Amino acid sequence: MVQELLFHQAGASLPTPALHVALQQQPRDENGAGRGRALPGYQRSQGRQDGGPLRAQVLGRRLGASVCPLRVSGGSGDVPILTSEDNIVSQPAKILNFLRKQKYNADYQLSAKQGADTLAYIALLEEKLLPAVLHTFWVENDNYFNVTKPWFASRIPFPLSLILPGRMSKRALNRILLTKGEPPLYHLKEVEAQIYRDAKECLNLLSNRLGTSQFFFGDIPTTLDAYVFGFLAPLYKVHFPKVQLQEHLKQLTNLCRFCDDILSCYFRLSFADG
Amino acid sequence: MSLVAEAFASQVAATEPWPENATLYQQLKGEQILLSDNASSLAVQAFLQMCDLPIKVVCRANAEYMSPSGKVPFIHVGNQVVSELGPIVQFVKAKGHSLSDGLDEVQKAEMKAYMELVNNMLLTAELYLQWCDEATVGEITHSRYGYPYPWPLNHILAYQKQWEVKRKMKAIGWGNKTLDQVLEDVDQCCQALSQRLGTQPYFFNKQPTELDALVFGHLFTILTTQLINDELSEKVKNYSNLLAFCRRIEQNYFEDKERVPLR
Repeated sequence: MVQELLFHQAGASLPTPALHVALQQQPRDENGAGRGRALPGYQRSQGRQDGGPLRAQVLGRRLGASVCPLRVSGGSGDVPILTSEDNIVSQPAKILNFLRKQKYNADYQLSAKQGADTLAYIALLEEKLLPAVLHTFWVENDNYFNVTKPWFASRIPFPLSLILPGRMSKRALNRILLTKGEPPLYHLKEVEAQIYRDAKECLNLLSNRLGTSQFFFGDIPTTLDAYVFGFLAPLYKVHFPKVQLQEHLKQLTNLCRFCDDILSCYFRLSFADG
Repeated sequence: MSLVAEAFASQVAATEPWPENATLYQQLKGEQILLSDNASSLAVQAFLQMCDLPIKVVCRANAEYMSPSGKVPFIHVGNQVVSELGPIVQFVKAKGHSLSDGLDEVQKAEMKAYMELVNNMLLTAELYLQWCDEATVGEITHSRYGYPYPWPLNHILAYQKQWEVKRKMKAIGWGNKTLDQVLEDVDQCCQALSQRLGTQPYFFNKQPTELDALVFGHLFTILTTQLINDELSEKVKNYSNLLAFCRRIEQNYFEDKERVPLR
């Protein structure tokens, strides 16, 4: 039974650059895990603000996905979107849940405690690292106007290319200020200083946790690896004018090695910067 | 605060020992304080008890406005005022008391990650339940939040706070969640905590850390606060090792004080 699960680009209502993955359901192996090998495919990847597509793509890749760009109508404008027969699922967390219910799971060999650790580290990433990543991509003026905005605008048809990047930038700034900009930090500069400090600490913690092993829980990648990769890879590979966080990341050699490993195993072509 | 200001503050903190008259400020316990603030306050009290530092709890109606960051609880020690568990832990560490010194780097990373999990899921769920669930807002939150103020100030302040919290929920993506999804998230969080705790007495085996204080604060408050229905506390009661954990900390650190016992 072959079922085609397709990641689509949201069409009519709000076209946004999206990640496109076509997934073929493999015959289940003895464990019932249903995991396949990565098929060769061509890829056009776009970084979203929180690396969501990369996460989903990594998981998709591991389940035998090939990436192809497609354009369909419908969808709420959220990126990435997974459609399977009649279901449309958006947002990385929901996509991962959906895949899990379909019995595609990267965490079969994890113990209960490791599963709990996964949740905790994901919370840590979203709380400490995400604001700084959002800031680097969307709020820092040099980066935004020189890299992010032209990148996104080139993939969105006119005239939405004039509106959408600005809206995403405002949303990112809003999120940073509402969650981190509470007193006694009154000035944006102080908020920035705080979030970059938190992000560097978070990267150090991740590096300590990874140590010398290949993936976070031994030799086989899991959901947590996909999450961390989704956050780190754009930060690591995209060429920015202002590179504070990137410099810090490059000093943590085990995290760089981790990104490179996943890139070479699961993304056949080199990471396209757009 | 900039790095220099922080270094200066911790220098000042380090020079004086912990005084006898340190006080912790929170809102009025019986009539005003809400679930999330009560949880945070209890977490700080538990932490200070675990460090064996004397603290007096003072209830003031305007505690939220007195606090330097706008959040309760805050402590007044010597001539310094520090609010929220994170900065308080660092302040206490500067004075030479720490619960997590015995942990190695990986364990410290884990501890921080779990603390973020509790803040991200449990605290946000509590805030959601208090301010975004219309039934709870109407029956409990509005009247409690505006209790010390005369009409119409009580309504205005309550609506203002609700608007602020709703804005924040929308920014982090919780605006579209239903109550059932939020309760499911709470369940997931409790499951993760329960699995991490396992059969150990505390999260990092023999000695309690600030993570234990934080988890205790939230879980105990959820279990003992009377809301419209019991759904939230039922989610926690499903995990017997978490219940035993709360009872253990209550017995070890709070038995000499007046407290509503766990049923």
